[in-house]
Amino acid sequence: MGTLLIMIVFGLFFAAIFTGGYNNTLIQRARKTTAWDWLTSVDHKKIGVMYFMAGIFYFVVGGLEALFMRYQLLVPGNDAFVGRTFNELLTMHGTTMIFFAAMPLIFGLINVVMPLQIGARDVAFPFLNSLGFWLFFFGALLTNMGWIFGGAPDAGWTSYVQLALNEYSPGPGVDYYVLGLQIAGAGTTMSGINFLVTILNMRTKGMSLLRMPMFTWTSLITSVLIIFAMPPLTIALLLLMMDRLFGANFFDHVMGGSAVLWEHLFWIFGHPEVYIVVLPAFGIMSDIFSTFSKKKLFGYNSMVFATSLIGFLGFMVWVHHMFTVGLGPVSNSIFAIATMLIAIPTGIKVFNWLFTMWGGELTFPVAMKWAIGFIPTFVIGGMTGIMLAAPPADFQYQDSYFVVAHFHYVLIGGTVFALLAGAYYWWPKMFGKMLSERLGNWHFWLFFIGFHLTFFPQHFLGLFGMPRRVFTYEPNVGLEYINQVSTFGAILMGIGTIIFAWNMIQSFRSKKIAAADPWDGRSLEWATQTPVPFYNFAQLPEVRGVDAFWLEKQAGNKEMTPAEPLGKIHMPSGSHIPFLMSIALFVGGWGLIARSWQIGVMGLLAFGVTMFMRSFDRDHGFYVKPKELLDKEAKS
Amino acid sequence: MADQNTSNTQPPEHKPESKMKHIVSFGAMILLTVAAFVLVLRDVVPVVWVLPLMLGFAVIQVLLQLFTFMHLDQKGSFYYILFIAFGVMVAVISVTGLVFMP
Repeated sequence: MGTLLIMIVFGLFFAAIFTGGYNNTLIQRARKTTAWDWLTSVDHKKIGVMYFMAGIFYFVVGGLEALFMRYQLLVPGNDAFVGRTFNELLTMHGTTMIFFAAMPLIFGLINVVMPLQIGARDVAFPFLNSLGFWLFFFGALLTNMGWIFGGAPDAGWTSYVQLALNEYSPGPGVDYYVLGLQIAGAGTTMSGINFLVTILNMRTKGMSLLRMPMFTWTSLITSVLIIFAMPPLTIALLLLMMDRLFGANFFDHVMGGSAVLWEHLFWIFGHPEVYIVVLPAFGIMSDIFSTFSKKKLFGYNSMVFATSLIGFLGFMVWVHHMFTVGLGPVSNSIFAIATMLIAIPTGIKVFNWLFTMWGGELTFPVAMKWAIGFIPTFVIGGMTGIMLAAPPADFQYQDSYFVVAHFHYVLIGGTVFALLAGAYYWWPKMFGKMLSERLGNWHFWLFFIGFHLTFFPQHFLGLFGMPRRVFTYEPNVGLEYINQVSTFGAILMGIGTIIFAWNMIQSFRSKKIAAADPWDGRSLEWATQTPVPFYNFAQLPEVRGVDAFWLEKQAGNKEMTPAEPLGKIHMPSGSHIPFLMSIALFVGGWGLIARSWQIGVMGLLAFGVTMFMRSFDRDHGFYVKPKELLDKEAKS
Repeated sequence: MADQNTSNTQPPEHKPESKMKHIVSFGAMILLTVAAFVLVLRDVVPVVWVLPLMLGFAVIQVLLQLFTFMHLDQKGSFYYILFIAFGVMVAVISVTGLVFMP
């Protein structure tokens, strides 16, 4: 009871501060700081940058976890990270890389680039955008709190039940996974809805669906996948929370629950998730190939069709993650065929990229190098995917390093290469500066060679019988040498990432502003000024075909034809409520993890209060005059 | 093709609706709910029919809700229908999987 009283007093105290009733000058001073500006921003470019930087941070964290694991596997019988510690490392490596690195990096690029590409001034729901980011941020923070308080999750990123239930995973470890992912997942769903509505409703004049750049198209399909794939995860996590925190028995087979239920729910989410992270990568690659080949994307319509088809088929293949569960030959065959079908649209895409480059006027900046490196790498990953899709063979491969090699080839060779390519390509639009090409080349070659050295030998480790997720191996069974090559490659990737970090720091420190259109680009984002004004376009542009900006440049125009007269622009105001909402859920979630029901309920109540604050928020935004209009008025 | 797509981005036109339509479907929905309760509470039909009949009532209610109160029959609702259909498809596939592959 005493705790409760102290909490209430503190709550009132903070409420007073945040509503400005305590010390108004303090609030006024806080509102003028840069930190306040970023915390409360609803500008899609700033939220995109925050998503991107958070993604880079967790990419480094996940990479360190991977390096620790590779260090442990350097020699047989190593005792650096054994048992539970190794399990925590592998769990958090997977969870961090998928949920807290790949997805925010993708959302960062979508947020910055997509509204510019469709000629919009902001996303459809700016408030929701901010809330999505902060929920992701605090969800990721909560999951990683396990490292410091009570042990990180250690049941694998798939968190299969029985293992993830209280009986086999005592302590708060898996609770951090459950509640952290639940909070971050809510943010992800919101962003998905936001992107979908933005693309469908906010396109500028003449920007029909079939004139959108490929990156926008893949963002659209990804948003659809997010909206339909996240609910199964939410339900699965909710059921697991009930089992772990409140003694329910959804998954405990002794009490009549079903362990396979978790696997189904997780993979109904998990497989579309793979396409959520890889489809935007395809879009980035398509844009880059087309820009640096100085050609229209080959087979644009078939690309759109292939993307939609992958999104459609993505929901009917999840059982290929469960071939060895014993669902029977009929189920396995149906899902094997559906899985192999996906190779067809993916193949269409690969050939389209090759034909885009064919006969083009090729240049090879770092972004294009990543894109070209991506094709063979991703194709290798796709080939092993087909091998794994055959159930009889899968019984041999399952739970071995062959699987590890396969999904790293598709996830790094597909998603990470594309994200890095996108970083080099869109950096001038995101930050107004260029990344160094010289350092970029070092980064590319070290990372690319390091990647293949790390993961190509792992195919053989798997075929020689080394099981995944096991912290050691026997000497003298022919695994030492291959493991050492793999660890050496991982170190090269680490050095490459350090060079990338150095490159970023150099670009932030440089004073040189990038050109507005450094790559001779084709889509609308290159028609904006650098740095992009917060209203994006003083006058929304009119689009006359695919590759809108390129068409205008070919017609001899320096700028897009405006679709509206110069005038005042309506923009949304910033809001601190998303930040408060996310903190409230963070505190509530942590309370539940610590089994402190008072704090848990307080957090949820505070969340309810912030929702009321939002409901009664009467701020409808403000009008600005763009720079062009001010110049014109000054002249007259 | 292009023009056809652009027209979808325009806000849908709302034609004035009759009050009768709303009242009738509201009444129908209440009646269907009452009917579902009656089915369970009293032995009006054989037990095996109860569940299918209730599901049938539920589907009718959903359709009434979508068409009279959420305006799916008006112009410009192409995307809503598309996404609802896709959602139903995903749900059917997932539930089939969960029920038949336990």
